[in-house]
Amino acid sequence: MKSIVAGQFVAIAKMRWQLFVNSLLTIRGNVELIARIFIILFFAVGGLSAGVGLGAGAWYFTSHHEEFWLAALLWPVFLFWQLFPILATAFTENLDSSNLLRFPLRFRDYFAVRITYGLLDPASVLGSLWLLSIVAGIAIAKPALLLWSALVMIVFAMTNLVLNRMLFAWLERWLAQRRTREIFSVVFFLVLIGFQFVGPLLSRYGEKSRREIAGVSLQITVMQRVLPPGVAAWSISELSARRSLTALVALMLLFGYGLLFFLLLNARLRKEYRGESLSEADLPSNRSKITVQPAWFVPGLSPPSAASLEKELHYLSRSGPMFLTLVMPVFMLIIFRIGPTGRGGLLARAPQYALLAGAAYSLLILTNFVYNNLGAEGAGVQFLFGSPAHFREIVLGKNLAHMTIFVGEFVLLWAGVAVFYGIPSFAMTFATLCGILFAAPLNLAIGNLLSLYSPKKIDQATFGRQRASQTTVIISFAVQLTVFGLGALALYLGKTQGGLWLSAVVFLIYGVITLTLYMVVMDRIDGIALKRREDLVAELCRA
Amino acid sequence: MDRLAISTERLTRSFGKLTAVEDVYLHVLAGQFFGFLGPNGAGKSTTIRMLTGLLAPTSGRIEILGLDLITNPVEVKRQIGVVPEGMALFGRLTGAEYLNFAGRMYGLDRDTAAKRTAELLDFMDLAGQPKKLVADYSHGMQKKLALAAAVIHGPKILFLDEPFEGVDAVASGTLKAMLQRMISRGATIFLTSHVLEIVERLCSHIGIIHQGRLVAQGSIEELRAGVQATNTEGSHGEKLTLEEIFLSIVGGERPDVEELSWLG
Repeated sequence: MKSIVAGQFVAIAKMRWQLFVNSLLTIRGNVELIARIFIILFFAVGGLSAGVGLGAGAWYFTSHHEEFWLAALLWPVFLFWQLFPILATAFTENLDSSNLLRFPLRFRDYFAVRITYGLLDPASVLGSLWLLSIVAGIAIAKPALLLWSALVMIVFAMTNLVLNRMLFAWLERWLAQRRTREIFSVVFFLVLIGFQFVGPLLSRYGEKSRREIAGVSLQITVMQRVLPPGVAAWSISELSARRSLTALVALMLLFGYGLLFFLLLNARLRKEYRGESLSEADLPSNRSKITVQPAWFVPGLSPPSAASLEKELHYLSRSGPMFLTLVMPVFMLIIFRIGPTGRGGLLARAPQYALLAGAAYSLLILTNFVYNNLGAEGAGVQFLFGSPAHFREIVLGKNLAHMTIFVGEFVLLWAGVAVFYGIPSFAMTFATLCGILFAAPLNLAIGNLLSLYSPKKIDQATFGRQRASQTTVIISFAVQLTVFGLGALALYLGKTQGGLWLSAVVFLIYGVITLTLYMVVMDRIDGIALKRREDLVAELCRA
Repeated sequence: MDRLAISTERLTRSFGKLTAVEDVYLHVLAGQFFGFLGPNGAGKSTTIRMLTGLLAPTSGRIEILGLDLITNPVEVKRQIGVVPEGMALFGRLTGAEYLNFAGRMYGLDRDTAAKRTAELLDFMDLAGQPKKLVADYSHGMQKKLALAAAVIHGPKILFLDEPFEGVDAVASGTLKAMLQRMISRGATIFLTSHVLEIVERLCSHIGIIHQGRLVAQGSIEELRAGVQATNTEGSHGEKLTLEEIFLSIVGGERPDVEELSWLG
């Protein structure tokens, strides 16, 4: 049996390798490879720099006998490991279990494959690298702690890995069905509402004496100590103080967390393994004539554009992951308001820019959809090419759907900023809207082109498994850098020359250029789609 | 003189060094129920994709209802309906939403699209689960829905790639009833299928493609007469079935099963 299992693992690895080799047979595959190398280099430089910083921090705390502060280094690693895959699904590779379940795989092997698949994701690789740096920093400061800290970090890394897989598996489950999605939404909004009390609480404590603030900080410190990063730091700190027994207890507690996450993951995967159906099909009803609601009436739009807009919004409204992605900007607004210490984050120091920053972040999030706007069509793309509609009408409908969402989100953001940062000034609201008029057409124009030249089939119903085209990722990155650079220039001019109104004017000038670009792209989109139809059908209709 | 619904001249399509379809001259008259047959990989799907504008030919000419497909793609697409390989469905819509969408894409007004959607769902026996997403439909239901979407605008020509593949007898009956109804009203149907019994029962005319070349074309009677004329030994005056005609034309030989001695 062992050799069969080994054979299965080798077969999966070979299959992945063969897919990679086959992808190099096309020009697009080679461009993807080059883009991926650039992205790896980017992550490597960023990751190594952070690793050096974390190692230096670990060395500092250890050599100053303040090992309990290692928690301050472990928390960012922990949060990155867990949040990055959710925030940047383009870099996450999850396995579609349905592809594996048809083979004679035992549960434990299925489980092992699910754990190991995607082990080379940026989150896992960088997380492990950073933990290694922290161990190195500790060992340089106190060589006697090398073995223990290595052991603690291995358990911590395993805990992170299992927690990450567990979160993905459960999120996918909760977001797969309407009812659980609704419950999840309610819980999420309750958490959001809960955050509204943070502001008043902070201001209340802000008026208190330093001693009382220190008291609250102490409470937070105690609370974090019982969570995995805190427990890991506590264990090393205890051994350093020669309290071996408590160090061991802390390690066992960390191990206990890992075990708990393991069991939760095990429960979820076992259900999947047994053939779980998350279909939302309703029970058959008696056959009767039905009345069908007419399609939406959207004044000024051609029927195909209106149909495309309606279809897109139906799709997006049924995508749990998409919902989670879209509420992130408001969530980030709160995070940046509070900051890591609870004493005010980055935006708390420049609240006048909260709306602009929030809008920029919303647009950034939306690029997930804009830059691959045909990805969710699947075999349906053949219908689009088979219908008499012009492709520009279909794309216009999609762009309008994305902008509708963005407008909704902007209203939510404005309200969020008003609650957490104070009502935005009229000048700032106007400047932000002008900024959107510049950035949105640019992103839509480039997004429409990349959707045709570099499409990637995605399933909006699932979480993860949405690896974007690496070419798209790198071009998107370049576009965002340009947008931020030009945006910063406009704001700088406004700040130094004549106030926000000048920034608004500069944004409007940019906007005229990007809007022209958008219209030029839309004019040519039919021809491009016709030229690219075979590649599109091949990519989007594949099983 | 009968009007040509579909006509091709020297239709060719190559993929790199492989020529999937070569010099095909196809003539289908308006009102014909045309079966397009061929072994796996013969070029059926490639041809149907070219005829419906889903794939550009490498060379040659395609005319649909007298219109050049290359120069008038939108006008041609307005008059045809297609169920391609893979069915071209949108899995995250309900059946009603999908048909409504299809109707609007073909330019129907909102009320007409809604009315026809309701009628088609009812006719196809898909009205029972209005909230069910297309992705959750059974294969047979998906085939019926794809056909419903292809006919919602009342096309003059219907192209169907393997419409009966994986469909049970009940669903197959519904599909056949709809196709017969369209033919009786003057529409032209062009279908590919591996189920030769169904093709024999439904189609009046047949085209057979083999290794990318159209090797036979005509009514079933014409093909039968042609095969019997060239191959008098095996027939003994009995009426050849379409399967026998087909095998005779493409020269199909069964492999020796003894080679798979390990297989039970």
